[in-house]
Amino acid sequence: MMSLLLVLSLLWPLGVAMLVAWQVYRAPAGRHDYFSWWWLSAAWPALLLAYGGEVQWTIDVWMLGGEWELNTLTRPWLAFTALLWSLAAVHARGYFAAEQSQAQSGDQAVQRRLARLSLLWPLALLGNVMLIIAQDIASFYLGFALMTFAAYALVVHSGTDKARLGAKAYIILAIVGEGLILGGFLWSAGEADTLTLQGVRESILVAEHGAWMAALLCLGFGVKAGVIGLHVWLPLAHPVAPAPASAVLSGTMIKAGLLGWISVLPLGEAGMSAPLTQLGQVMLVAGLAAAFLAAFYGVFQHHPKAVLAYSSISQMGMLTALVAMGLVAPDAWSILWPGVVLFAAHHALAKGTLFMGTSISEHMPRWSLALIWPLLALPGISLAGAIGAGMVTKWAVKSPLYEMEHDTLIKLLSWAAVGTAALVSVALWRQWQQRQPGGSNGWQWGAWLVGISAALITPLWLPLPAESITMPPLKEWLGILWPLSVGIALVATGRLLLRFINTAAPPAGDLWWLYAGVIAAGLGPVKRINRGCSELKTACVVSCRQAERSLMDALTRMLEAENWMRHHVSGLMMALALLLAVLLIWEGQR
Amino acid sequence: MNAAWLPLTTLLTSLLAAVVIFTLPENARRLRTSANLLAAVGKIILVGLMAVRVSAGHEDTFSFQIVGNVDFVLRADALGVMFAGLSSLLWLCTTVYAIGYLEGSANRKRFFGFFSLCVASTLGIALAGNLFTFLIFYEMLTLSTYPLVVHAGTQKALDAGRIYLRYTLSAGVVLLLGAVLLYALTGEHSFSSEAGLGNYLADHRGLLLLIFALLVGGLAVKAAMVPLHGWLPRAMVAPAPVSALLHAVAVVKAGAFGILRVIYDLYGIELSVELGVTTALAVMASITIIYGSLRALAQQELKPRLAFSTISQVSYVVLGVSLFGPFGTIGALAHLLHQGLMKVTLFFCAGNYAEELGVHRIDEMDGAGRRMPLTSLAFTIGALGMIGLPPLAGFITKWYLGVGAVQAQMYWVVAVLVASSSLNAMYFLPILHRLWFRTGPAHGQGQWPKEQRLGRLETHGWLLWPMVFTALASLGAGLLAGLPFSPLDWASRVAYGEYLP
Repeated sequence: MMSLLLVLSLLWPLGVAMLVAWQVYRAPAGRHDYFSWWWLSAAWPALLLAYGGEVQWTIDVWMLGGEWELNTLTRPWLAFTALLWSLAAVHARGYFAAEQSQAQSGDQAVQRRLARLSLLWPLALLGNVMLIIAQDIASFYLGFALMTFAAYALVVHSGTDKARLGAKAYIILAIVGEGLILGGFLWSAGEADTLTLQGVRESILVAEHGAWMAALLCLGFGVKAGVIGLHVWLPLAHPVAPAPASAVLSGTMIKAGLLGWISVLPLGEAGMSAPLTQLGQVMLVAGLAAAFLAAFYGVFQHHPKAVLAYSSISQMGMLTALVAMGLVAPDAWSILWPGVVLFAAHHALAKGTLFMGTSISEHMPRWSLALIWPLLALPGISLAGAIGAGMVTKWAVKSPLYEMEHDTLIKLLSWAAVGTAALVSVALWRQWQQRQPGGSNGWQWGAWLVGISAALITPLWLPLPAESITMPPLKEWLGILWPLSVGIALVATGRLLLRFINTAAPPAGDLWWLYAGVIAAGLGPVKRINRGCSELKTACVVSCRQAERSLMDALTRMLEAENWMRHHVSGLMMALALLLAVLLIWEGQR
Repeated sequence: MNAAWLPLTTLLTSLLAAVVIFTLPENARRLRTSANLLAAVGKIILVGLMAVRVSAGHEDTFSFQIVGNVDFVLRADALGVMFAGLSSLLWLCTTVYAIGYLEGSANRKRFFGFFSLCVASTLGIALAGNLFTFLIFYEMLTLSTYPLVVHAGTQKALDAGRIYLRYTLSAGVVLLLGAVLLYALTGEHSFSSEAGLGNYLADHRGLLLLIFALLVGGLAVKAAMVPLHGWLPRAMVAPAPVSALLHAVAVVKAGAFGILRVIYDLYGIELSVELGVTTALAVMASITIIYGSLRALAQQELKPRLAFSTISQVSYVVLGVSLFGPFGTIGALAHLLHQGLMKVTLFFCAGNYAEELGVHRIDEMDGAGRRMPLTSLAFTIGALGMIGLPPLAGFITKWYLGVGAVQAQMYWVVAVLVASSSLNAMYFLPILHRLWFRTGPAHGQGQWPKEQRLGRLETHGWLLWPMVFTALASLGAGLLAGLPFSPLDWASRVAYGEYLP
């Protein structure tokens, strides 16, 4: 039964993609429904699979040998991933309703865009599901690459200049990431002669250069996870992607980078070497830096989705710091990881819902504003840790750290939560400024409402190990609640202070512009060298031909000598005969 | 039991096909096609038979003496059968493709005759049991390919053909010199002898090095290793099926296969490592890989870009050979097959774009995915495979090469592989972007350079189905690499059966 479900959860999205392709080429465009029930159902088998229980499969004929597994880590991961994909699909049906009717009325450009999106969406989903259940390197890498490249269509969807820039940043960094991951995998797997992620973890733990392998993999997955310095694609790609695409991009796909870390790093293992601990410390610092700097940069953004993208970077920074604790303080990991998974799941749902919310505020349903705005704010407040699942999540992360006495980190994380609160309030405020009435579609707000409730009760449905998550005791509530009020207060005072100064938003994508400038400057010398080389080559060819020609000329001259001999053949013969005769005479006389 | 007839008959199928084609009149199209296809299918069956016999442990040998001490030997060993399998499979595909491609053009008799001769020489190279036999077929390949390269008869084609001959004939002389020196040193030396040349190491180290340099230097011209690659991009003027055959199995692969033979069967891998030549070879191969990719990046036309990509990819085989260890060997052998499948697919696609739409330049390919979905899909598969993304065949070899490099402690090779993958992505992904994400004539913007409607489907069926087949094969070779008799499985058999302790 489980095997059937597994096959179904992988083949179903593939089948949906093929169905879409078939319809695009066969069905008349006028009656084409790009977001049919089939399409909406693409993630459902995977969702069922996540609640089926723990199993493992071994498939020998699959590439280098397939090892797939649903375990205590991958089950909750698959659950929140599949849930968010399903919700985003439903949301997409409403979000694209206008484009759908444009397409049905014969607009070819829209038809093309929708076909592309509806074809590659299930493929990206397929990659995401596969990378979660994969325990062998090849399947994992396949899932990761499939998701990454298929998601290009999600980013570039609208086809505007900005979308193309965002998609370009996305794909360039993705290729850099793929290269780093490939290098890290080859190195660690080659050292230990292994084909599984388990083997990679062991190899990194014992190998001489384990920390360098881990660093390569960390950076490679860090591109997805938005680690500081490699995060530049997020604020460029998110604002331009359609809301449901942003939701899955920020909710599940960047979590794939996090899952990559958890899968390949020997977190919580005994006998951690000193370089690995150092790597952990570097990650810790990088994570916290991302958490604070992204919050600081993000609050000045104007586009609500750019603000939310920076919030994702900030949140992923916190998760980076937590993962790094698995290297720095291995003992804590066994009680910390359920909290990390819950954090990831809650952030996925809450951030996904926030992104869906941006499309709600752009097309507000005809409800009272007093109803809409609290609903829009709910996932944000939860993300800041003040209500519902957010509180539980904060506590799930904090209590193990308390137990292991990492008080400084707890303080820093609390201050980072202030940043979250500030970002979320700025995002809401920007949404308020840019709100538009227009009546949203039932599918659109339906998925959004379900998303809000799912986000608020995340610990109730997430299949984590029993007893691993508890409610915070009452005396801790204050420690969890204060960041929200401080964050809001900070934004309010900042707003009042900056009121009379006309601040322009700093460009989204911060370091991207620096990188682009540096590379553009570096290309100049490369081009000059290139030109020099080609001139050198031309000169070589020319001089070689010169030499060849002079050689041939010499040969031709020699051939002319032969011509001369042919002319004077009779004379020469006579001379020869004479010579011979003289020789003979001379011989005879001796 | 020695079935001496088997290698001989296999060789004769192509030779006879050539003879039959040359005797038939120019306009006997139906008869020529049937003879061609019959021979190709027959040959696949015969090679399949050989594969079965090899895996059962037989080594069928056909030999006779030419002059004292010099024998003509055909032997079906595992490595040879692997290459023969690739060559016969792709012969069928390219023949079918060529029939569609050349429909209605002139000089088809000459073309198909020399095409068969070319494949016959490839098979001879695959089954050659000693250096002498190898040389014969190697030169035969050079000469039988020339008429194919210059087939179009234009000035550009003739120039390319002349340069091709200059390169390959002088390489042949160098190779011959090496072979003569080797025969002078050791007398008859079969590829199957277990001894290797280890006995001569003590007294003739310098001479062994010289012979190695001459042999591999001669072979490297056909394998298009930098800086001996100049002929390959020019030979792109040949018709698409010829380019496909040239790049996938015939000429370029013959060079790489020769290097395999020299290292594994003539010198022996231990001796090569002892002489230190493998490291030099790995460096040369790495330079070729990076240089080929960089040049490919600069090309504006599709076929030259694919040509430079071949230069880069074939050196993977050489790189794998020079990594001492099981993974490098398996990677090299598997890549011989994988690269063949993927590259032939890409060239079929390039031919289809040129025939159906008149597209030669990359910037003319905008939106071609809508007009020719199957071709573009096949191109996507081939291109992603070249980048080395799973689940395609290219990933499998890249994996084996990388792991082999780590186990041989040559960590810089991993960096070369990663750099090459990124460069491959940089020159293939923009093409895919053009195919699928841009709008072009298929969306009502502008016109194709020279559009023809060749068939009921997106193009002529004879052009379409071979390409679909090879694309599926390159997908299957990666996705189901664990199946028995997959290229990876066969490469592991060869490696573990013959060359590894």
